Amino acid sequence: MAARPLRNLFYTGLAAVGLVLALSALVLLAKTSNNSEELARLSQLTLVINGAGIAILFVLLMGNIIRLIRDLRRGVPGARLKGRMVAAFVGLALLPLSVVYYFSLQFLNRGIDSWFSVQVEEGLSDALELSRAALEIQMRNGLIRTEAMARRLARGDDSDLLPRLADERRNAGALEVVVFAPNSRILALSSSRAMDEVPIAPTEEVMLQLRAGRPYVSLDTIDAERFEVRTVVVLANTTATPSLRMLQVVYPVTQRLAGMAANVDQSYTDYQRLVLLRGPLKSTFTLSLTVVLLVSALGAVYGAFFFSRRLVAPIQQLVAGTVAVARGDLETELAPPPRDEIGVLVSSFNDMTRRLRSARDEAQQIRAQVEAERGNLETILARLSTGVIALTAERDIRTANTAAADILGADLDERTGESLADVALGQPLLEQLVDVAEAHFAAGQTEWREQVMLREEVGRRVLTCACTSLPGEDPEAPGYVIVFDDITTLLEAQRDAAWGEVARRLAHEIKNPLTPIQLSAERLRRRYLDSLPPEDAQVLDRATHTIVTQVEAMKEMVNAFSDYARAPDMQITQFPINRLVTEVVELYRAEGHHLAITVDLADADPILEADNGRVRQLLHNLLRNAVEALADRDEGEIDVGVSQHERFGADFIRITVEDNGPGFQAGRLEQVFDPYVTSKPKGTGLGLAIVRKLVEEHAGTIDAGNRNEGGARVTVTLPLDEHARELMLTREHRRLETRRERA
Amino acid sequence: MAAFACALVLFSPNAAADGRVEIRSAESQLVDGVHQASVRVQYQLSSRVEEALANGIALQIALDFEIYRTRRFLPDPREAAVSLTYTLRYNTVTERYTLRNINTGQQISFATIFAALNALGRIDAVPLVDASLLREDADHTVRLRAQVSIADYPLSLKYLLFWRDDWRVASNWYTWPLVR
Repeated sequence: MAARPLRNLFYTGLAAVGLVLALSALVLLAKTSNNSEELARLSQLTLVINGAGIAILFVLLMGNIIRLIRDLRRGVPGARLKGRMVAAFVGLALLPLSVVYYFSLQFLNRGIDSWFSVQVEEGLSDALELSRAALEIQMRNGLIRTEAMARRLARGDDSDLLPRLADERRNAGALEVVVFAPNSRILALSSSRAMDEVPIAPTEEVMLQLRAGRPYVSLDTIDAERFEVRTVVVLANTTATPSLRMLQVVYPVTQRLAGMAANVDQSYTDYQRLVLLRGPLKSTFTLSLTVVLLVSALGAVYGAFFFSRRLVAPIQQLVAGTVAVARGDLETELAPPPRDEIGVLVSSFNDMTRRLRSARDEAQQIRAQVEAERGNLETILARLSTGVIALTAERDIRTANTAAADILGADLDERTGESLADVALGQPLLEQLVDVAEAHFAAGQTEWREQVMLREEVGRRVLTCACTSLPGEDPEAPGYVIVFDDITTLLEAQRDAAWGEVARRLAHEIKNPLTPIQLSAERLRRRYLDSLPPEDAQVLDRATHTIVTQVEAMKEMVNAFSDYARAPDMQITQFPINRLVTEVVELYRAEGHHLAITVDLADADPILEADNGRVRQLLHNLLRNAVEALADRDEGEIDVGVSQHERFGADFIRITVEDNGPGFQAGRLEQVFDPYVTSKPKGTGLGLAIVRKLVEEHAGTIDAGNRNEGGARVTVTLPLDEHARELMLTREHRRLETRRERA
Repeated sequence: MAAFACALVLFSPNAAADGRVEIRSAESQLVDGVHQASVRVQYQLSSRVEEALANGIALQIALDFEIYRTRRFLPDPREAAVSLTYTLRYNTVTERYTLRNINTGQQISFATIFAALNALGRIDAVPLVDASLLREDADHTVRLRAQVSIADYPLSLKYLLFWRDDWRVASNWYTWPLVR
C-alpha cells in the first residue's frame, strides 16, 4: 500500500526536476546569449540539461497519457473525469501559449526585418564605393610616384642605389622602398619601419602580373585601422642584364582616411553578415521560441495531469469505495482527507461505512441469533411427534416437519414454497387434510380444532388437528400453522384396553354362573321330566333344552370374549397361503351351502411367514361372516382373492373376501371392527374384532368397506416375511415412540 | 547572436558537406640540425563558406604536427608537437583576402581566394624539432593534420551543432618517417 504514494512522489519529483532543468536551461541560455564566452562554456551543459529536462517531461507525459488511455479503456472509476479535466487544463494552457507563440514569432520576424532597409544598404554601398574610390586615388598616386621613381632610379648607377633609394623614399613619403632581384632577393632597401620588420617579398601573384607587363598595386590591411598601398614595378636594367629587377614601394594611407575606410568596412561587413544571416537568425529565434514553447507546453500538460490526478484521486477513492460498498465490502476505509469539501465528503463516507459496518455486525448477530432460534425450532419440530405445517397467506408451504410427512405419508421434503394444494395432489391423506382445512378457510375460520378421520388405502387414520393464524411480518395477510397428531393407535389402544377389560369381566362374571345354571336345568329335567304329565313334561323338556342351549351359546360367547382378551403366544411358521385359503374355502364348500365361492389365488404360490392357526381362524371368521351375511340370499356369492404386493420396499399378502350381501351399514363402517358390533341377529359382534386383533398381531392392516355393486369387502394385508413384519413393526414402533415422546 | 547564426549557416549540413581538406604530400629534412617540413595541402571550400568569408567571416586554418618515437611493442610516445595557425579574412574595402600567420604575425594579401588558398597550401621549411632533442638510436614518425574552422566561430550556439561534427572540416592524419 505504501508503494503507490512513494511511486507517485517519485514521479512528481522527477517531473519537477525535469521542469526545473528545462526552465533553468532556458534561463541560462537567455542570460548568456549575449556573452559568447560564457555561453560557449555552458553551451554543452545547457544542451544536456535542456535535453534531459525535455526528455524527462516527455517520458513522464507519455507514461501519463498511456495510463489515462488504459484507465479509460478499462473503465477505471474517475478516468473519464480525469480525462476531461486534463483536456480542460491542457486547453487552457495551450491556447494562451499558442497565442503568445504566434505573436512572438510575428514580432520577432518583423523586428529582424526592420533591421534591414534599402536606404541603409544603398548608403553603405555608396560609402564603401566612396572609400574604395578614395583609396584607389591613393593607390593610383602611389603607382604614379613609384613609376616615376623607377624611371629616375633607372637612369642612375647601382653604386649609389642605396642613397638614392633613401632620397626617393623621403621625397615620396613612402614607408619602404625595396629593390628585389629576380629571385626576390633584396638588392637594396630603404625603410622607415623598425629594423625587425622584414619587407615582404613579391608573391607569385606579383611576379605573374609583372611578367605580364603590368605594374602591381594593392591596398593591404595592416590592422583594424591601418592600410598600406603596395606598389611593385619593373626597374629598368641599367647594366643591360637580362634579369628582371623589381621596385617595391609601400605608401602609408593617411590615418583619417584609413580610419574612415575601416569604419565603412566594419559597418558594411556587419550589415552583410546580418543580411546573410537574416534567415538563419529567424530560424534560430524561432527554434529557441519553439523550445521554450515546447518546455512550457510539456510542463503545462504534465501539470494538467498532476493537478487532475490530485483533484480526481479523492473522487476516484470515493467511487472505488462506493463500488466496494455496493459490492458488499464494508471494510473500505479511505485515506485521511485533505482539508477541503472533498475531505468532508471522504469523512462522511468513512463515517457511513463505519455505521454500515456496525449495522451489518448487529444484523449478523441478530441473524445468527435468529438462525440459532430457527435451528432450535427446527430441531424441536423435527423431534416432535406432532405434525406441523406452516402456511403462508396464499397457502404455500413455509415449513413442514418430518412428523407431518410421516403421519400423512407424504413427501414434503424440498416442497417448501409450493402451494399446499399442489403438493397434496396424488397424496391421499394430505389431500383429505387439505380438504378439511380448505373448508375451514373458505368459511373464514382461521383458528379451528377438529378430529379428522382420514381413509387410507387400507384402514383409516384419525388425526386431531388444530389450526391457528401466524401474524408473521404482514398482519394484513397472516399465515397459518396446522398442527395435527395421529391418535389412531391411541384410540385403538384405548379401545382394545376397554374391550379387553369388558371381556375379562364378562368371562369372570358371566361364565361362572353359567355352569350351575346349566347343571340346574339338566337336574330339573332329569328329576321332573318323567314325573310330569306329558304336556308339562314337554314344556319342561323344551324349556330346559332352551336353557341348556342358550347357556351353551352364552358359554361360547364368553369363551369368544375370553379368546379376544387372551393373547396366546404366536407360532410363526412358513406355509403356502394359497393352500391354506383353498383348505378353508373347501370346508365351507363342503358344508353344502347354496353359495358360490370363487377363489382367485396368488400367481406365484407365495410362502407366508405367520401363525398358521391364527391365519386359519382369521379366514374362518371372514368366511363365516360372509356366509352369515348371505344367509337370506338365494344366490350368494363369495369371492376370495389372494395376491402379493410390494409396499414400503417389502412384500405383503393381501387377502380379500367379498360378498354380494347387504354390506356394512352406512355410517357404521368405523365401528365394524369394534367388539359387539354386528348387524346380524345371531352375531356375537366379535368376529371382525377378533380378525382385526389377529391381523394386528401379525403387524398387518385390515379394512372394511362396501363394494360399489353392493356387498361387503374386507381386505387384510399381512407381511409376507420377517422383513416386512419388522418394517411394519418399526413403523408402528415409531408411531408409538412418537406418542410416548408427546406424552 | 549574429556570429551564432553565421556558424549555423556555415556549418549547416549542405554548407560543410562539399568542403574538403586533403594533405597531398608532406616530407621533412634535416637542415642545420633542425628537422624542417614541407607540406602540400589542398583546401576546397564550399560555396557557402566562400560566401560567408566574402561577407566578413574569418576562417582559421591550423596545421598540427606531432613527432612520435616509434617503439615495437609499446605505445609510441609523443616527443614534440608544433602547430601552425593562420587566419584568412576578406576585406571589403581593399577587396583582398588577407592571410595572417598567427605564429609570426606576418600577413600577406591576395586578390583572389584561389591565390590565398594556393599560398596556404604550399608551406616550406616549417621547423619541427631540434634534432638534438630526439634520441639518435630511435626511429621517429611525424604525423600531420590540417583543419579549417571559423576563427571566431560562436561556441555559444554549438548546442545546435551538438549532434553533428561538421562545424569543423579536417583532413586525415598524414604520417611519414622522420629522416635522421
